[in-house]
Amino acid sequence: MPSNPAKVFVVDDDQAVRNSLRLLFKTVNIDTATFESGDAFLHEYDSDWHGCILLDIRMPGTSGLEVQKMLRERGNTLPVIFITGHGDVPMAVEAMQLGAFDFVQKPFRDQELVDRVSQALSQNQQQQDSFLHQRHVQACYAELTPREKEVMQCVVKGQANKVIAMDLDVSQRTVEIHRARVMEKMQARSLADLVRMSLVLNE
Amino acid sequence: MVESMIVIDEHGTIERVNKVTGDMFGYRPDELVGQSIGILMAGADKARHGNYLNRYKQTGIRRIIGIGREVQAQRKDGSSFPAHIAVGEVGAGNTRRFVGLVRDLTEQRQSEEEALRQREEMVNVSRLSMMGEMAAAMAHELNQPLTAIANYAAASIRLLEQGTADSLADVRDALQEIKDQAHRAGDVIQRTRSFTKSADGTRTVTRIHEVAALIRSLATLDTKANNIQLNWEIPADLPPIVADSVQIQQIILNLVRNAVDAMENTPADRRQISVTAKLTAPHEIRLEVSDRGTGVSEAAAANVFNAFYTTKSAGMGMGLAICRTIARAHGGQLGFRNNEPEEGGATFFFTLPTQVNN
Repeated sequence: MPSNPAKVFVVDDDQAVRNSLRLLFKTVNIDTATFESGDAFLHEYDSDWHGCILLDIRMPGTSGLEVQKMLRERGNTLPVIFITGHGDVPMAVEAMQLGAFDFVQKPFRDQELVDRVSQALSQNQQQQDSFLHQRHVQACYAELTPREKEVMQCVVKGQANKVIAMDLDVSQRTVEIHRARVMEKMQARSLADLVRMSLVLNE
Repeated sequence: MVESMIVIDEHGTIERVNKVTGDMFGYRPDELVGQSIGILMAGADKARHGNYLNRYKQTGIRRIIGIGREVQAQRKDGSSFPAHIAVGEVGAGNTRRFVGLVRDLTEQRQSEEEALRQREEMVNVSRLSMMGEMAAAMAHELNQPLTAIANYAAASIRLLEQGTADSLADVRDALQEIKDQAHRAGDVIQRTRSFTKSADGTRTVTRIHEVAALIRSLATLDTKANNIQLNWEIPADLPPIVADSVQIQQIILNLVRNAVDAMENTPADRRQISVTAKLTAPHEIRLEVSDRGTGVSEAAAANVFNAFYTTKSAGMGMGLAICRTIARAHGGQLGFRNNEPEEGGATFFFTLPTQVNN
């Protein structure tokens, strides 16, 4: 997705912390976008974003925990990593219970932070991939005729062509033609592939 | 309480005593009859007592009679104890007698001393816990520049390893930032030092805005964590005060903490604490901490400053009692008022006299 590249969205009220994180991620070729408050971030937030959120738990105004809650209400799928201070462990625990991806304690080791962020990014990428895959399968399925959909349902249930022909009251040859069309339109490389697609459709 | 009763004649000779007197002083009652009253007094009071009687007879000026006095009393075994003595006069002329009622103050003294000791301990504990909290706040403040320094340094290492021409410029900028952040951390430590320097309980000539500034980060930590807007308006041009900075900080922090607690149920957009100071009389500074919380109920109003009174589920009820002790020890007052209904909440304040030049 070149128009919407994955980024680390850094939300921290401390300018020095934001700038130093930006430089650190630059050295490992990870793009960043920085925000000085939870409100500024929520104002800009777009559910089409990819990447992960690095969120300071303790900020003036809207706190990190509140930002996380509001993101949840808005259906956010970006993994959230909290930045916590020395005495913030109870808050961090609450954040984890609310579904945070992880938390790191300040001051953090760069490799540790980079690793966590990389994990979060790849988790988000996988989610993104499977989402795109699902949309692709749905689009292919929408191209099938009603008859082809019927045939596909029977095929993925493991029914033989002969049985399908009897069930649908058509010739076995017709079933074979429908079946070939289904495989072609669904861009399925094998029966197993088609079965996996049917599972994605039912998700 | 049982009291010892002693009847003496106008020369100070004991004529009659009750049984309690014997128990209190360690004599058999008949041992005392005929003795001078001085036998029951210790040290300076022994001599003084005879003088009082003589002077009263000559001048009519009362030193004990009808007034009551605290003396050191002496037992038969020579040990002494604090006692309150009240003397009444019966009869006149040759039949004039004095009746003394003596109360042993030992227990009362002990409980007073105990209370004083406990209060001092409480002040010490709260001072210690404040030092602990101060340390936590400083740790938090130090963490920011340290985090930035660690990040910049880590990035610099990576940039140098990459070794491109562009990266050198980035390394240079990062080093500049590291330098700035190190100074920032140094400033935090500088402030901690000046905080602990005044922690030995001595009073110095200082200014309220400087005293308050040291506690501001701690107060901010509390208000931040509770989504409270903190207004801090303490002018730098107020006259100097003579004060124990740590104790004054303790009052301010206590009042801010109370204000935070009072706004637990205040909607987030109304949560606001104002810390202000102004000159309210030619030689009086008043510092106010105003909240938008629940205010002080009529029932609480009468008791807020009493020790062990609290409206908080986990409160000790010592905060305001200690604050008032500190304010009074500085020659000031601690008080409060409920705000106008449209604002809501309460304003707690304390006054401090300004330094008077001799």
